[in-house]
Amino acid sequence: MELETDIVAHAFGSARLRLANTDVLVAVKIEVEVPFPEQPDEGKIEFFVDCSANATPDFEGRGGEELAMEIANSLAGAYKSTQAFDLSSLCIMKGRKCWKLLVDILILECGGNLYDAVSIAVKAALWNTRIPKVLSVHLDGNKVEMDVSDNVHDCEKLDVARAPIMVTISKIGDHCVVDPSSAEEQCSTASVVVAVSQKRFTTILQSSSGALHPTTLMDCLKMGCEVATQLDMALLQILMKTPSQKDIGFLL
Amino acid sequence: MSRKELISEIGLRLDGRRAHELRRIRCKLGVFTQPDGSAYLEQGLTKVLAAVYGPHQVRGNRTKAQHDSAIVNCQFSMAVFSTTDRKKRPRGDRKSTEMSIHLRQALLAAIKVELYPWSQIDVYVEVLHADGGVYPACVNAATLALIDAGIPLKEYVCACTASLANNDVPMVDISHQEEIIGGPTLTVAALPMSGKVVLMEMSQRFHLDHLPKVLDKALQGCKDIKTILDEAVRRHVEDVGSSSGWGNTSEKART
Amino acid sequence: MLQKVHIRLAENRVNTSVAVDRRIPKIFTPGEIISEQKEFMRGHGTYEQDDYLKASVAGVKEQVNKLISIRPLKSRYNGEIGDVVVGRITEVQQKRWKVDTNSRLDSVLLLSSVNLPGGELRRRSAEDEHMMRQYLQEGDLISAEVQNVFADGSLSLHTRSLKYGKLSQGVLLKVFPSLIKRSKTHFHNLPVGASIILGNNGFIWICPIISNEEDNVGGFVQNLEEVVPRPDREAIGRLRNCILALAQSKMMLFDTSILYAYEESLKYTVADLLIPEAMVDVAILTQHRLNIAENS
Repeated sequence: MELETDIVAHAFGSARLRLANTDVLVAVKIEVEVPFPEQPDEGKIEFFVDCSANATPDFEGRGGEELAMEIANSLAGAYKSTQAFDLSSLCIMKGRKCWKLLVDILILECGGNLYDAVSIAVKAALWNTRIPKVLSVHLDGNKVEMDVSDNVHDCEKLDVARAPIMVTISKIGDHCVVDPSSAEEQCSTASVVVAVSQKRFTTILQSSSGALHPTTLMDCLKMGCEVATQLDMALLQILMKTPSQKDIGFLL
Repeated sequence: MSRKELISEIGLRLDGRRAHELRRIRCKLGVFTQPDGSAYLEQGLTKVLAAVYGPHQVRGNRTKAQHDSAIVNCQFSMAVFSTTDRKKRPRGDRKSTEMSIHLRQALLAAIKVELYPWSQIDVYVEVLHADGGVYPACVNAATLALIDAGIPLKEYVCACTASLANNDVPMVDISHQEEIIGGPTLTVAALPMSGKVVLMEMSQRFHLDHLPKVLDKALQGCKDIKTILDEAVRRHVEDVGSSSGWGNTSEKART
Repeated sequence: MLQKVHIRLAENRVNTSVAVDRRIPKIFTPGEIISEQKEFMRGHGTYEQDDYLKASVAGVKEQVNKLISIRPLKSRYNGEIGDVVVGRITEVQQKRWKVDTNSRLDSVLLLSSVNLPGGELRRRSAEDEHMMRQYLQEGDLISAEVQNVFADGSLSLHTRSLKYGKLSQGVLLKVFPSLIKRSKTHFHNLPVGASIILGNNGFIWICPIISNEEDNVGGFVQNLEEVVPRPDREAIGRLRNCILALAQSKMMLFDTSILYAYEESLKYTVADLLIPEAMVDVAILTQHRLNIAENS
């Protein structure tokens, strides 16, 4: 598994993850928006997945849209809980202005275990995201005026310690395996995707057809939770190592 | 003219290049393992990935297959985060469709399609970062990917942009910044070895008298790019070849 | 449950190249002039234009008498008669199966070029045509030999030998076809407890040792019940990872190189072989041993 952050210059945060043959690029952009009336003190987060035709020719045209929607929706579900990801830090002025995170995921090569790769890359990209500091906000009649710091380096980092990690568990024969390769995914009779944040589940999603016995399901969930915790630790550890500003991308 | 000058008096452009200088090109062949051929190309800040699948049996609509040549299928898409303001859709809009068609046109001129009856070649390009000269970068990356896939080409097909600065000086490889400030842009895709032009597109206007020198500049740019790509291909082939001990190639070649 | 998670930064990427310093033959790139055309004949990867013979792919020149061809280092599988291939059935049609062999067109396996149960000289009845799907159905893997190459480039296969036929339990690997070294035999019973079929088309099949004596029904039986014992499984898994390591470093695959890689890999556990450092290490050691063997 290989990770690189901050590789898209246009974006506020980005990451690229390569997990065996799966290659995912994530970029985060931010916009200023009006918060939802139901949650006036929360920001917004939106996911958009694009399956590039580079990955497999099946994704050409609209071929990848179904899969893209599925991944985007499960991500949105996983990040919905306030326990997992605190949107209130994205609020600029209650009910008036908030930051909106636009998380764009580009799948460049697809060699199995997409969910896990995507969730890790998203977490890394969010970790890498820097939000400009707002110096002052004041109301001018009905208009909100805000003063955003001009200094590029004067910005805040997001707290992603609790952001969920997704783990796919596939049942092949009588065994359950994590991190299935694409061949294993095809053989599996059933698979479960769990999103885990701090040892708590945020979403559980049974993907692909097939049924699971409740006891197997519970075993799977337990396994997923353990694996996710380990993954999470490893990821945070590697993110802490401040990477040098060397541009590698696809060149090496 | 109120427009900002594209070239300063001492002959430097906005990014410090001279009129005839290209931006830095870096590229790599064989970045992915799943496609038959793939390449990554950076031209300045513009970053493009290309993947080639095929030649393979025609998928989907089999009536499209031609008995005397392969069909070439191109898809151009731009990552939503590739530009400064976020794009709504990665592909399917008019600009992408146009790009796909133009790309196909340029590649068809080079690929020896007649060798592959009943087959299909898929070329997919993905723009990761757009900073001017997107089309040329795509053509150049696609050429590399085709070579990586071992698909016979008549020769390299390279593309380059050129413009006219200060109404007088032709300059090559236009960046996004220069595109915005203005000035006409001439995009040329060519077969640089035989000097044939396979695609030419021009926006805005300048006097016809200027065309030959701008076109010359663009063709020169194509030739320069070809030299750079050729070097990269040779390096790649050498590297792979010596790892495999020149494999199935004849013993004679080795000694 | 003990598990290790490996995440690395891209800047620490391992260089997979195992290139050794050898004399590099001249490389031709598309459009490059090879020679004045008159004296030579043009082969694959070349074309004539303006009285010149030019290259159309990037690769190395090969010359047989007056025939010049350029061989690209990587391409789709170009079949030659007599090649051993591993393929997957994609379609059952009248009197023929369509087989995906990583070639540029689907290959065909005619009903008349398989050995049906009941003797080689049996006539093929209409009943056999109805039974086709019971012999081989979509998704089945077969090993076969190229019988013929059609004018449009598609391949006709046959399985008229006891060594060919349906494959039952094992692992399929896909590598670039150019990495498979052509040799006299592509079926190897490796002394490590596994058999391997190196298909010329880049599909590699690894399975437990087959004892040929029992298998005399023409290869349409699939024994899926028998459980492969754990040591055999480990050997297969290790072989798979070794081949992947060699393929990643673009090294040629043949019985000796695979065997060397297997032996060099023994210091790692099977799962550790997926770590890039270990893969490169195995590849380099193998390369080294091959060079020694070659020079002595």
